[in-house]
Amino acid sequence: MDTLVARYSQPMFEKEYSEEDQLELCQPTPSLSLKFAMPPIAQPSAWLRAATDDHANPNCPIKIAHGTTTLAFRFQGGIIVATDSRATAGNWIASQTVKKVIEINNCLLGTMAGGAADCQYWLAYLGMQCRLHELRHKRRISVAAASKILANLVYSYKGMGLSMGTMCAGVTPQEGPALYYIDSDGTRLSGNLFCVGSGQTFAYGVLDAEYRYDLTEKEALELGSRSILAATHRDAYSGGFINLYHVKEDGWVKHGFSDTNPIFWKTKLEKGEFSNVTSELV
Amino acid sequence: MSSPFSINGGACVAMVGKDCVAIACDLRLGLQSLTVSNNFPKIFSYGDVYLGLTGLATDVSTVSDLFRYKVNMYRLREERNISPSTMANLVSSSLYEKRFGPYFVSPVVAGIDQKTGKPFICGFDSIGCIDFAKDFIVSGTASDQLFGTCEGLWEPDLAPEDLFETISQALLNAVDRDALSGWGAHVYIIEKDKVTKRLLKGRQD
Amino acid sequence: MEVLLGITGKDFTLVAASKAAMRGATILKASDDKTRALNKHTLMAFSGEAGDTIQFAEYIQANAQLYSMRNNIDLSPSAVAHFVRGELASSLRSRKPYNVNLLLGGVDPITDKPSLYWLDYLASLAPLPYAAHGYAQYYCLSILDKHHHPDIDYEQGLKILRMCTDELKRRLPIDFKGMLVKVITKDGIKEVEYDDEARIACP
Repeated sequence: MDTLVARYSQPMFEKEYSEEDQLELCQPTPSLSLKFAMPPIAQPSAWLRAATDDHANPNCPIKIAHGTTTLAFRFQGGIIVATDSRATAGNWIASQTVKKVIEINNCLLGTMAGGAADCQYWLAYLGMQCRLHELRHKRRISVAAASKILANLVYSYKGMGLSMGTMCAGVTPQEGPALYYIDSDGTRLSGNLFCVGSGQTFAYGVLDAEYRYDLTEKEALELGSRSILAATHRDAYSGGFINLYHVKEDGWVKHGFSDTNPIFWKTKLEKGEFSNVTSELV
Repeated sequence: MSSPFSINGGACVAMVGKDCVAIACDLRLGLQSLTVSNNFPKIFSYGDVYLGLTGLATDVSTVSDLFRYKVNMYRLREERNISPSTMANLVSSSLYEKRFGPYFVSPVVAGIDQKTGKPFICGFDSIGCIDFAKDFIVSGTASDQLFGTCEGLWEPDLAPEDLFETISQALLNAVDRDALSGWGAHVYIIEKDKVTKRLLKGRQD
Repeated sequence: MEVLLGITGKDFTLVAASKAAMRGATILKASDDKTRALNKHTLMAFSGEAGDTIQFAEYIQANAQLYSMRNNIDLSPSAVAHFVRGELASSLRSRKPYNVNLLLGGVDPITDKPSLYWLDYLASLAPLPYAAHGYAQYYCLSILDKHHHPDIDYEQGLKILRMCTDELKRRLPIDFKGMLVKVITKDGIKEVEYDDEARIACP
């Protein structure tokens, strides 16, 4: 009886956090220990891959939204970041209004390709880490350091079915405009120009043909938006809206979230591009 | 490897109105995610009857050519055009001939019987089972979406212009939710002694 | 990693094919010709499974030439394209299908209109203003969407082709040993001098 009374007379919240958990919460940074609930089986990573990886198993029971075109490139005036906005689950278009540029803070941007939830969650986490870095060191985190936090994080989950291809873009006084590519394999590359997603090749085609480092701001914005348009036209899994950003030293500037449909017909009818598309019945 | 029915993508829909029928298709030819052509119509005319074919592009061409041959032979023998209901039976038996190695297509027949003036539409599965309908028939990779839009928009006894509006909206809004179809559309409005063909400029993404 | 490209213009059709003949990880030949002339103004470029490609191409070539000899007139590019499609489609449902992707470039001898037909191994046929096969589709179609117009002249056509091959050199991980380029006009088929020496680096 005493034990029963003791059990039910405990304060309600005492059990909520174990001692270990409370210690964890007091720490300045959450550790990178694998705190997520894992499938209760011997080989969680193999099981997760079989259940979620579309490529390895097209009939996988957990469908993760895929299909994207994102690009970012460095030029004399900073960095252009552009994405489409379509989310697909198989052939079903789940949304045409996804925000695939994640504003980590007012001078760092991340792009999203692959698993939507993976990207959203971990880039938000990255934002938190960047803020903590700022508070601790009294200056903004470098893009190199920020991207490394993300790369190390996803590497710690390697083989467990995380799926993300992301770019970190930012301008800092010590680095200038800096651009990094990070994917869920753990790859982290710095570079001038990256395209990521199922429509990447189409974007590369248009972008490479006219890319120069000394592009003017206007030319760069137009080229970024035109490259996404090219990819939305040819890639079935890209489309919707063009999300366009310009990253400068004093932070990023948003240049609209514009529907591709009017832009496409304007490009076709005014410039005569896309001559393969019929606009008249013969 | 995905199903042969969804390698190339495409959608088709037919609807009945008052003394008229309409049939519409999208224009995409793709290879999985890649869009190869934006001008691949899937509706073929055989005299008074129209046949829409979605599915594997090679079979769309093969089957449309096959029926051009069969309908021409019919016309020479009978010295008259084939009627929609006869066409439906011809399509059905021709598809069943390939029961153990089918054409990967989902045909749709639409037309007006020139004798009775009655509208006629029907659909098929790939081995020839006829699906007669009094309202609408859908087929292709966007068929789930088309069922939704048609159930929502169709009503009985639509006049030709209203039927055009209904079928156009049904098709365009359905393909906008399907990654593998769209990129423009053709619409045929068929009345007893007039056929109007229109091009719809759909979204190109 | 075979590359096939085709571009039509005002009064010509350009057909280009990569020069590397690959088997596994080896390049057996760096001056391969993946095209066959079917008649005076129709050219077929092919890629796909080794063996199937040449067998099928030469079978089509022989039949097209037989038709020309018997009837003293060439088949038009459109007629050839539909004939090829028929052969490939019946092969598709045979015991051993040909695994061949094709581009058919031509100029109609009567109307002088240039034409280009895209055919894949499933025998899907599409007439197009510009086309490609293999990985080239993914890199080049967007470039062609932007820079192609139906009334471009020969020099502009070559310039666009150069943009495409430069992009392939820049982004494809395997060297395809340059391109063999041929042009079809109303006067027939000609090979084009195409300088492939320049190295293109990634930005």
